[in-house]
Amino acid sequence: MLSLSNWFESTPDQVIACSPDASHSKADLMARINDWRTFLPLEPKQRWVVYHSDTFEFIAILFALWQSKCIACLPSDICSDTIDRLAPNSAGFIGEFPDLEQAFLYPPSSMQCSPLVPLDREQTAIEVYTSGSTGTPKPILKTIAMIEDEIASVDQLWTIPKHATLISTVPHQHLFGLTFRLFWPLLTERKFLTKACTFTEDIFRQAQQLACYVLISTPSHLKRLNDQLDWTSVAGHCHQVISSAAPLARQDSLFAAELLGTPVHEIYGSSETGAIAWRTQSNNNEHWHLLPQIDMQIHQGRVHISGPYIEPKHAYLSDQIDISTSGSFRLLGRQDRIHKVEGKRLSLTKMEHEIEQTKWIRAARALVLARKRDEVVVVAELSEAGKQLRTHGSQKELVKCLKQALRSSFEAVLLPRRWRFLSSLPYNSQGKLSMDRLHSLFDNHEVKWPVELSRNTLDEHIQLVFYIPKELIYFEGHFDQHPILPGITQTHWAQHFGRKHFAIEGRFTGLEVIKFQHVIQPDTEVTLSLTYNSALKKLTFQYLSDKGVHSSGRICFA
Amino acid sequence: MSDLNTELKQMIIDALDLEDIDTSDIEDDAPLFIEGLGLDSIDALEIGLALQQRYGIKLKADSEETKAHFASINALAKLVQQHQTTNV
Repeated sequence: MLSLSNWFESTPDQVIACSPDASHSKADLMARINDWRTFLPLEPKQRWVVYHSDTFEFIAILFALWQSKCIACLPSDICSDTIDRLAPNSAGFIGEFPDLEQAFLYPPSSMQCSPLVPLDREQTAIEVYTSGSTGTPKPILKTIAMIEDEIASVDQLWTIPKHATLISTVPHQHLFGLTFRLFWPLLTERKFLTKACTFTEDIFRQAQQLACYVLISTPSHLKRLNDQLDWTSVAGHCHQVISSAAPLARQDSLFAAELLGTPVHEIYGSSETGAIAWRTQSNNNEHWHLLPQIDMQIHQGRVHISGPYIEPKHAYLSDQIDISTSGSFRLLGRQDRIHKVEGKRLSLTKMEHEIEQTKWIRAARALVLARKRDEVVVVAELSEAGKQLRTHGSQKELVKCLKQALRSSFEAVLLPRRWRFLSSLPYNSQGKLSMDRLHSLFDNHEVKWPVELSRNTLDEHIQLVFYIPKELIYFEGHFDQHPILPGITQTHWAQHFGRKHFAIEGRFTGLEVIKFQHVIQPDTEVTLSLTYNSALKKLTFQYLSDKGVHSSGRICFA
Repeated sequence: MSDLNTELKQMIIDALDLEDIDTSDIEDDAPLFIEGLGLDSIDALEIGLALQQRYGIKLKADSEETKAHFASINALAKLVQQHQTTNV
């Protein structure tokens, strides 16, 4: 393996990277580093923010910064909030920032060939960011030594054939992409592609052109591989698949392995720690195995890891795990409110905070649902301004305004896709929000019941506050453009909840004084008020809301 | 509005399981991604799969070209029409 600190000395002049129309040698990289060094006004110890989609340009910028002992700050997105946060502590921006005129993007050819010096292993090379549980992004620093040691560990585990090319669907702006898409091939003398593959078809074309390739990807791409392409025509070209960012579901792992003709190796790790463990699910085993040189212990109920590239302050994991006697382990989910959404890390606390900062919302709870894709969904209480907008405008307009407000802080993939607006969040009598209730607000499988938000009981009387989901099967065809809750459903619910609460066992004999005054529409809240006269065996019901009485009547039992 | 445009809008709504949106909310020439409908990179992958399943369209391995096809409903309709004429 080559060293990163002494890369220029130890690397023979050969092709290191390929773009669609050119290949780049070590000499090309050295020339490009000098172009950037001449172009940028670098001073030692400065911090520069770097965002560039071309991996060859990106590594040239990194080496140029390191030559001057500068630190490369690598944001994973270029949302305006991210730029505002990084600007005060940096000397400037390098790369693709469409909204920043002052960003350095096109260095002219300098014809300089100043010598490139070896790097200090202990110098700080990069700073990456990850959302902490409070939602504020935390900076994480990595030295040249940490990068080298991590690659050394990976290289001990897997050897890629000499003629293999690394292709990737992940950007190098995240630590996983940075390590596996760039530093791994760079330090093991393997070629890498300068452009990411955005669609399955890009991967397929590379597979046709490359006799041997390694694919660096994520569950988001692997589970959506297009199985209609003729993968058998490129059988044997894929040497290895590496997936990270989130655990891959077993069926998705097998699906991708079948199409690409090789097992999918998954990496478990984080921006704080780098790669820690690996697994492959094709052998009917969901256990993870530690990477060479990594050690794992349980200290007072917390998971502690150590290794040459793990900093002591990042030694405790936030994931809960179950270690087997052989040292392999299973992941049991996180202890805090950080979730992965299509492989991207999101602090739900931050999402809720940002939503509550808008003028339309008083309180919000965000959750992540695993449906066809991972989705962020929100249950919220409207403020007066929010109610006004919903009444005078529409719910669509309200959702549009909210999403617009969140766009400066979150990438598109993290924006909420479903919203439920309630008069108050459904806290139970212990003052806790029931996750089941929140989840049921988004349930759309054969919904037959209202969502109970709260209840109030007094002897022979009970009041139930319901949310009426628009997914109720009773709205279908009743009526197409103007859905309303059928009277028979209202009566049925009254009987159901009455029987349950008052333990009525008698047979239904009839209805009395039934009145339907106002329609009940989807996506609204109503209160069902029930009173049982046990002597007469009669259950009186009433559906009410701020619009008045919707319906009322008596159900008689024998 | 042409039938194909409406069909494509419905395909997008179904494939992406979009809530609170019907075909009349999607404009023919408005951007589908970021602005306009506000779709993201995962949606792009799903739309690629839906085009394959419904119309048998294989996207070319050129991300830039694909992004151009995915720019709006009108651009998508043009892609489907081209595919149908060349495959008669």
